[in-house]
Amino acid sequence: MATTTIIDDAAPARTVATLPTGGRSDENRAGWLMAAPFLAFYLLFLIGPAVFGLVMSFFNTTSVRPGLGEAVGLDNYRQIFTDSEFWASMGHTVWFTVLTVPPLVILAFVLAVLAERVARGKALVRFIFFAPFVLPVTSVTMIFGWLYAAEIGLLPNALEALGLPVPDLLGEARWGFISVAALTVWWTIGFNFVLFLAGLQDIPEQVYEAAALDGASPVRTLWSLTLPLLRPTVVLVTMLQILASMQIFNQMYLLTAGGPGTETRPVMQYIYDTGFSDYRAGYSAAATMIYFAVVLIISVLWYLARVRTRKGADA
Amino acid sequence: MSSRLSRRAAVLGSLAAATALSGCGSPAARGLFGVAPPEGQLSYWNMFTGGDGANMVTMQEEYLRTHPDVRLDATVLAWGTPYYTKLTLATSGGAPPDVAAVHLSRLQTLAQADLLQPLDESLLGEHDLDPGRFVPTAVQKSRYDNRLHAVPLDTHPFVLFYNVDVCRRAGLLGSDGKLRPIRGPEQFRGAIAAAARVTGGYGGVVNITKDPSTNWRWFATLYYQLGGSVVADNGTRVTLDDDLAAQALGFMQGLTTSGLMPKSIDGPGVTSLFSTGKVGFLLDGEWQIPTYAGSSLKFDVVPVPHVFGPKPVAYADSHALVLPRNAEMDDQRRGTALDFVRSLIGSSVIWAKGGHIPAWLPVQNSAEFRAMRPQANYTEAARTAQYDPPAWYSGAGSQLQNLLGAAIATSQTGSAKPAQAVREMRKQLDKLAAAKPPVE
Amino acid sequence: MTTNPLDYNGRSRVFKIFSAIVLVLFAAVWVVPLLFAGVTSLRPESEIAADPTSWWSENFSLEAYRKVLDSTPMLTWYLNSFIIAALTVVLTVFVTSLIGFALAQTRFRGRGGVFALVLAGLLIPGQILVLPLYQIVQGMGLLNTYWAMVLPAVAAPIAVFIFESFFSGLPRELIDAARVDGTSWFGIYWRICLPLTRPAVAAVAIFTFVTSWNNFLWPLLVLSNVDQMTIPVGMATVASGFGIMYAQVMATAVLGALPLFVVFLLFQRQIVQGVASTGIK
Repeated sequence: MATTTIIDDAAPARTVATLPTGGRSDENRAGWLMAAPFLAFYLLFLIGPAVFGLVMSFFNTTSVRPGLGEAVGLDNYRQIFTDSEFWASMGHTVWFTVLTVPPLVILAFVLAVLAERVARGKALVRFIFFAPFVLPVTSVTMIFGWLYAAEIGLLPNALEALGLPVPDLLGEARWGFISVAALTVWWTIGFNFVLFLAGLQDIPEQVYEAAALDGASPVRTLWSLTLPLLRPTVVLVTMLQILASMQIFNQMYLLTAGGPGTETRPVMQYIYDTGFSDYRAGYSAAATMIYFAVVLIISVLWYLARVRTRKGADA
Repeated sequence: MSSRLSRRAAVLGSLAAATALSGCGSPAARGLFGVAPPEGQLSYWNMFTGGDGANMVTMQEEYLRTHPDVRLDATVLAWGTPYYTKLTLATSGGAPPDVAAVHLSRLQTLAQADLLQPLDESLLGEHDLDPGRFVPTAVQKSRYDNRLHAVPLDTHPFVLFYNVDVCRRAGLLGSDGKLRPIRGPEQFRGAIAAAARVTGGYGGVVNITKDPSTNWRWFATLYYQLGGSVVADNGTRVTLDDDLAAQALGFMQGLTTSGLMPKSIDGPGVTSLFSTGKVGFLLDGEWQIPTYAGSSLKFDVVPVPHVFGPKPVAYADSHALVLPRNAEMDDQRRGTALDFVRSLIGSSVIWAKGGHIPAWLPVQNSAEFRAMRPQANYTEAARTAQYDPPAWYSGAGSQLQNLLGAAIATSQTGSAKPAQAVREMRKQLDKLAAAKPPVE
Repeated sequence: MTTNPLDYNGRSRVFKIFSAIVLVLFAAVWVVPLLFAGVTSLRPESEIAADPTSWWSENFSLEAYRKVLDSTPMLTWYLNSFIIAALTVVLTVFVTSLIGFALAQTRFRGRGGVFALVLAGLLIPGQILVLPLYQIVQGMGLLNTYWAMVLPAVAAPIAVFIFESFFSGLPRELIDAARVDGTSWFGIYWRICLPLTRPAVAAVAIFTFVTSWNNFLWPLLVLSNVDQMTIPVGMATVASGFGIMYAQVMATAVLGALPLFVVFLLFQRQIVQGVASTGIK
């Protein structure tokens, strides 16, 4: 069942029985042959782009011409560092992350805890929260574009009916972020919800029984039992969510296209705009590398945090 | 459950689909094996929606009536940057449409990037598209490196709309019922003020919020009237004249901060103000004519008056048809494509209903077009059209329009002084001009 | 599901009722967008223009769906999405399970290094690298073919580790016995071990399928021929032409969502479990 197994560390020393037949060389060859196809894909499509992007960032590469173009040294980086549009787009990405991570982690957790408690209808609840996750992004933005539409949309009308001021949900940058964040919560919360639910179901009943016998209140049980036991899942979900939110492009592109002006443009779209629309592949590669480095640092921090959490859990 | 079952289903499904669809030229075959599109199919991309879109469909139907054997595959994509990105990716990726609509302000960049097929005069002659029979300004703008790369479809200038009733009550119309000529900043402001007295509110309107292209067009019209230029040498040198730019911005700001025109308004707001008679004047592109033509509103359109300077200046752009570069295109296919282009050009009187001035002189000089109102009022603008300066970052929906437009808007809303806005424009231009051009 | 004799919530009925109410409220909020989209898509355009937020119509019809299917190559996009997703699943499951098996059950020289290399791949945020990846795929002449979509997707380290952890759980005796019988390593993988890792295959297959089907940025870049687009990109490209025909826009949204939604209805349990076990990442 839903297991959140955690991978062993690198270079695991597994005891392997001595082989009765065949031999070391046979096993060696078979291992490499079976690893080779994946390694080829991996080097070509994952390591390749990282290395090639780094190389490209030192050239005035043009996306509509073959070849790398003229070498420009650190010029691209020098320009990026003073490009207010780039840093603004980094800021937008961070702001979107700040807006989406708390609800997508906390709300998903609360809903999972509540869902775990109800006796009936658990499958239905899970279905309702997870179903949006399987929709293509374009369907989601079409539906929300209609809900948010000024004057005629369901949401502006509902706000008006309640006597609340009706903001320009997509036209104003301030609200554009919130509108896209709300869409993202609706669309993707099911994923985190399912991870939390799986984590909760892995907690043995006896733990709760013991707590109940001790007379612990539900809130106390949640706070001092469930939460600590679920810590690995919480760390996992939080980091996955940060990484996902940091890569925001699709919903924003389809709903606000980075507008008004470039006021909601995330950094992925900055890369898309400079690299593909303006043909400045080399310059855009430099932007990619800086952004890549930032996200990579977060990834590594996550990895270290996970290793520590595991050690903590083992102890 | 059935992980094996689902795997098997997936394998079988994809195999079945592949075999069923490996008929030559089916989309799946193209996707799997990169097969060329079938003969007799012509793909055409454009960015025309609304009234223009409907007119274009009518023109396509005209073509299909005379070419029933061609399967025309017309795709409408979203206007602006996404359109050009898509066209660029498709062309450099080797799967462009056979024919595409573009703005001439974008032509040089597209040609420099090697995305267009040059169209030699002899080739055009064979298809009855002699360059001498188009508006010279547009033909000139279709040239790059002394070779034609596009067939111009129209010229579409930035113009002045006026509400006939409001202007009559304001005493701005002549005995012929037309707007009396307006000259100089005082007269222009005076006309708007007169309209404002009639409406009891605003006298005129121009889109300000979230529309950098319109901000830019209105500014460029005035600034070019003053004789200014923005960049030179293919965008590598900034020639912005701070004083002239500040003068143009100051005039624009005077209109909004004095309350004669709204200082914060978006597209729907503009349409609502002008269509309900709450303003006398509207500054916008002639392509907005279909927006108001269906209503009971009585309006007319004239070129933007000479606020500054002696020379008539019409800030404009042109739609044109191009053949994206395509190694797989043989002469026969190219022939079909150019026949299609010829057919669209030939029926461009339908296109003119959208407010545009046809570039094809036989249509422009036809009795049918000459009888069209208000189009015929500003036909001259096609000859005095001033386009965006050539640079890799200029043209329709470009960075130049987006970045400078945003700076111009801050002055129009009154949040920045004209001089501040000019400084911001210069800063943006310096950055763009200093960047290494991606294509030269 | 968890009916427990010693219900730990037993003494807090209030809390239980509170939980149920909160859940119902949120569930209602979650359902509204989908229901409203569905209702709008079935109303005539003229009624929507007159009363955009109404939930009812006297004249429900499938007119908008007919128009969308007539005016767009929606069915072609379904087929494209399906072929691409299916090819991706088959190739990914095969290639990643193969190396997963090698890492878990064979001790080849340099295994530790390979393990660390693939592990490092987990930390690489893939989508960020679209620009250089595009250049590479273009250089390989794959643009505008399904392979531009399929091949890069196979480089999925997460799938490798899902398989690795499942294969590691298989008893060593099983493999040794087969070795004694003279079965080749590939035979052991293919005939003995792979059939035992169905949950892993299901998890990877489902996750890969959904990811491929809903991918947006990458197909936006590499598929420019309208007839070759996938559902999300095709919809985004062509639907801008619908303008304010809201029933048609909503019908497009529903049609785009339909296939996976139906699959999800049928295989809810497996899909949810598949997602939960990809949480290994």
